[in-house]
Amino acid sequence: MIVPSVVLGQRAGAVAPSDKVVMGGIGIGSRGGHDLTKILANPAARFVAICDVRNERRETVKSLVDKNYGDNGCKMYEDQYELLARPDIDAVLIATGDRWHTPLSIIAAQHGKDVYCEKPCSMSIEESWALADAFKRYNRLYQAGCQRRNGANFILCKELLEAGALGKLQTLYANVGPSVNWPPLPSRDWLAAEELPPKQVIDWDRWLGPAPWRPYHSSYVRGGWRNFYDFHGGGILEWGSHTVDLCHWAAGYDDIQPVEYEPVGGNTGPYSVNCKYANGVRLVMRDNGCNGALNTGSCSFRIEGDQGWVETGDATRIECSANIKPLLRPTEEARWAVDNHMREFIRCVRTRQTPSANAAAAANSHVTCHAAFIAFQRGKTLAWDPGKRAFTNDDIANNMRSRALREPWRI
Amino acid sequence: MQQTTPQPPAAKPAKPRPPEPPPEFQEGKIATMDAAGLVGILKDPASTEFQKAKACMRAGELAAKEAVPALAALLGDERLGMYARYGLEPIADPSAADALRAALPKLKGNLLIGVINSINKRRDAKAAPALIKLMYGPDPGVARAAAAALGSIGGSAMVKELQAALSKTTGMTRMAVADASLVCAERLLAEGKRDEALALYSFLSAPSVPKPVRLAAMQGIIREETAVTRPR
Repeated sequence: MIVPSVVLGQRAGAVAPSDKVVMGGIGIGSRGGHDLTKILANPAARFVAICDVRNERRETVKSLVDKNYGDNGCKMYEDQYELLARPDIDAVLIATGDRWHTPLSIIAAQHGKDVYCEKPCSMSIEESWALADAFKRYNRLYQAGCQRRNGANFILCKELLEAGALGKLQTLYANVGPSVNWPPLPSRDWLAAEELPPKQVIDWDRWLGPAPWRPYHSSYVRGGWRNFYDFHGGGILEWGSHTVDLCHWAAGYDDIQPVEYEPVGGNTGPYSVNCKYANGVRLVMRDNGCNGALNTGSCSFRIEGDQGWVETGDATRIECSANIKPLLRPTEEARWAVDNHMREFIRCVRTRQTPSANAAAAANSHVTCHAAFIAFQRGKTLAWDPGKRAFTNDDIANNMRSRALREPWRI
Repeated sequence: MQQTTPQPPAAKPAKPRPPEPPPEFQEGKIATMDAAGLVGILKDPASTEFQKAKACMRAGELAAKEAVPALAALLGDERLGMYARYGLEPIADPSAADALRAALPKLKGNLLIGVINSINKRRDAKAAPALIKLMYGPDPGVARAAAAALGSIGGSAMVKELQAALSKTTGMTRMAVADASLVCAERLLAEGKRDEALALYSFLSAPSVPKPVRLAAMQGIIREETAVTRPR
């Protein structure tokens, strides 16, 4: 006899405690806090642990989580290995600074955990491949925080291309971080040294993690680490990890990279990197301002075929050629993409299906962004051989495919 | 819902700029210096820590073999050791590998781990004998790094060493040995040594192996046995 769960006292749609995805978090600040609210709102998940190098953040997250569940169950950790050693934890949210993303994700996979990781997911071409290799090796699930793959307006644009409404694909446009906020060439300088706070307030050694040593300055810790080369990939990685990812996803290019990268412009004004795939399709990474020239919002992307075009971004609205307008339909607002994306991840952890922004797809789009970033640093057009995973016309560019990690960290 | 009348979103204000770096912490001309200039900075006792750090990074991007002796001299520096490895890792010239190997008996703790990690990245098989000894040494962090490096070097000889180590190590070191063995199996597959790889996966599927690695090894067998390219 099969007894419906409601007969046993469970509410319709409720998830049994034993069937919940148990999650922990590492490095949760403003962005991670946004992700955390989506976990707390999901009845199929239970958040039980926070690890952070900052005492203030550990306390904040614990307070938020315990208030949500009405208990004292969220445990705090300073050492990620202690959190990852917990056998009850199925998956972790990683929302540290970029420098930690790949090493921590790999360590989590080695401990048998699935991972939702914020982007940019890697600091180099080498890290991108290592990330994909590790998640394949351990057969763990990975969801990059490229939430627009689950945004309804972005999905409609992809469907219009897939349905043939745009004709043959000609050019993909990925808006990259506007130079006013995120110049393409981050600074290689250091800030002046400030007095180091006590370790229990901020563990500077752990905060730096795999990044090169430099003197402490409070600005880094407050979010000012962006735009410094040792911690950040500049405007190309900051937005390209979203928008190049969208282009690859929409075009079905999750396993190919452009073979040519031409940098245009300087560090202070509008800039772009014009790329070409082996099949002749073009990818243009462009600084198109904060909201895009068509006011489609941040992180916009555009698809041009030989019969029409579409463009959308975080403003939800879809701009398009006249012949496409009859095909548009109202869509959910773009801001719901994060909810959908986290929901997809938690569902995949339970079903073992592969999430849309998986490690292999993330690696592919990040390699493309890093190659463009290197071309911009080199100030010359670079040719890339995807098979050899190497540039074919510049030795120095090849030397820039990896960055040494500070001891004891490795990938 | 989708809007019918375009409403441009409010423009976001530019993010506040971080404080300006002081003159002594600005990379300046080091960014475009040639190998000779970089060696000059690295050897000059008057050069600052910042200048040497930037010179190391630039030397790595140029893969400047002329800088190897100066970079090697910094491997034991608590702050600059990592920068020295940043410089040495991309240098294909054998002198860079020689320098990293030569540093193994001179260092300990995290600095030693860093050098082992750089050897890992370079897959320097000549370092294997020293790494095997370090894998059984008293420092668990060093032992784990050495195991990982042996896995990266790969090959049948390393497989035997790691298999033996799996029964002689414990805890996190054993986890690292098991992880390195998985990497070895992938290297064997890439080299076309399918039978050896499957045998290693089978070995790693034993109940005594740490669970994440055991499951990964079982998945490796499944993936390989169900691959369309499998020999039939």
